[in-house]
Amino acid sequence: MNNKKIALFLILSGIFVCGIAFAVMLGGSRLSITDIFYALMHPKVESQAATIIWQLRIPRVVMGLLVGSGLACCGVVFQAVLRNSLAEPYTLGVANGAALGAITAIILNLTGICIAGFSFLGSLITIFLVYAIASRKRFSNTTLILGGVTLGFLYSSVILLLFALAKKEGVHSAILWLMGDLSYTRPHMIIITASFVLSGVAVLIFFARDLDIICLGDQKARHLGLNVVFIKSILFLVSSVITGVCVSFVGIIGFVGLIIPHICRFLFGVNHRLLLITSAILGAAFLIICDTMARFIARPLELPVGVITGIFGGLFFLGLLLKSKKWEIF
Amino acid sequence: MSMLKVNNLSCGYGDKKIISGVSFSVEQGDFVGILGPNGAGKTTLFRAATGIIPPWEGEVFYKDANILNIPRRKFAKEVAVIPQLVETPFDFTVDEFVFLGRFPHLSRFQAAGAVDQEAVLKAMQLTDTIDLRQRKIFELSGGERQRVLLAQGFAQSPRFLFLDEPTAHLDIAHQVAVMDILDNLNRKHGLTVVIILHDLNLASEYCKRLILLDNGKIFREGVSDDILTYQNIEKVYKTAVVVEKNPVSGKPYLLLVSEKELKKSEKRIKNN
Repeated sequence: MNNKKIALFLILSGIFVCGIAFAVMLGGSRLSITDIFYALMHPKVESQAATIIWQLRIPRVVMGLLVGSGLACCGVVFQAVLRNSLAEPYTLGVANGAALGAITAIILNLTGICIAGFSFLGSLITIFLVYAIASRKRFSNTTLILGGVTLGFLYSSVILLLFALAKKEGVHSAILWLMGDLSYTRPHMIIITASFVLSGVAVLIFFARDLDIICLGDQKARHLGLNVVFIKSILFLVSSVITGVCVSFVGIIGFVGLIIPHICRFLFGVNHRLLLITSAILGAAFLIICDTMARFIARPLELPVGVITGIFGGLFFLGLLLKSKKWEIF
Repeated sequence: MSMLKVNNLSCGYGDKKIISGVSFSVEQGDFVGILGPNGAGKTTLFRAATGIIPPWEGEVFYKDANILNIPRRKFAKEVAVIPQLVETPFDFTVDEFVFLGRFPHLSRFQAAGAVDQEAVLKAMQLTDTIDLRQRKIFELSGGERQRVLLAQGFAQSPRFLFLDEPTAHLDIAHQVAVMDILDNLNRKHGLTVVIILHDLNLASEYCKRLILLDNGKIFREGVSDDILTYQNIEKVYKTAVVVEKNPVSGKPYLLLVSEKELKKSEKRIKNN
């Protein structure tokens, strides 16, 4: 890392720390700074501030950090493996599978952990199907993308079918789920998400150098000594499972996995070890800052965080589209 | 022991057979050019000979081991393969890009050491890309890109080099520059080179041995004087050519003749 990158890294870490501070301090209910500090220092003392901080805000912030970093890292991996800078964690249908699972559960009037369970099951089935399709064709990118995208469309149609058949209330809560929301965070969700995201991201960083090579295309990668089919299948499975877990608990939070890798690649270059680490930090910071805004902007009304990231992400995406050079041939 | 031995190789894609019954071998220090018209199977042969596609029949041996049984990483430590194009959606710096050539030599968490830095530096010196180090690859001209791609291959510290038309996008000065680099490495360091070329004159000037492919089979194999005769070329390429001797190197070179001029000259011959 040269000096410029070290400085950028420090700025990034600063944003991360400030993001956490803001996320803990700001929210639907106004708390004074002294109350917040007192509550932070004395978690055992019962007060309204302590309840809000320890039971509402901190779990939510931790979940946001985990999901943000997980989705951003998966975005890095999907873009490298599919060699497409417009790929993101949801490109291969994992999110649609999770959504179908969740919406089935909601329409069956199930609640809480059952929704997450159904949702995770939906994403696992999708991962299995895409894997089965892709492995027949040596994990070629065309097969991966066509298989994943087609499954995604299929699921979306089934979801619409369920909406057409379901009762009104079910549809409303299903739509809310689809928008992505961090507000239902419970401790067991944090433990499950943390174990998947942290170990998954560790595996992805373990394969960072392989990701650098995969960007050169299957043939060149094999000529440089990479076992392409094996590495691609591992990376696909790990990043899809991370995505599945995140979506199951918080719904579909868009664009984090698309824009964060772009920003980090722009700032730090194409070295994937650095790219994964910085994307994890920036993705985490971005999501909790968006979530704080979602809680704060229209308070006491709370917006779903997926809407905020979608608006930010959409604007960024348009800018990218207008500015981007066409797919370059080297 | 030959470095590379292709034994009665047949292969293709889907159910279309492209290469049938090709055999040849490449010795240490060889400089072999593979020639042939479009669709003759040069690139397919290249893919099979580097273990990218499996043979339908026959085998490919690298140093007496079947290429399918050599771990890719071990193979990549000795053999660099430089394709016509590398497509990547990401804007690497030249430095980062050339460094990827060290991949087969580095274990997973091994940081780049002095050996690696030196190999990268040497590869960049050879290809005259040192000044491009900080540039982004999307900004480079066609000639610069080709040299950077070569540098990545050289950074692998290969004993054996496969190239698929490295001069395709280059002007004549850069063509000669690239071929001179290969020639130097071949003569001074014993690097074995197998190269696909479209430009028959370049092949004639630089290659020690030529393999002329036609329709998936070897048409002729030998030194340029024996291969680049107008009879061979007209038969394989189905185009009239004139073969002369290069006054400096004494190697054969080819001249093309347009259909119009060909008819005129035929008329002249008839009238006489």
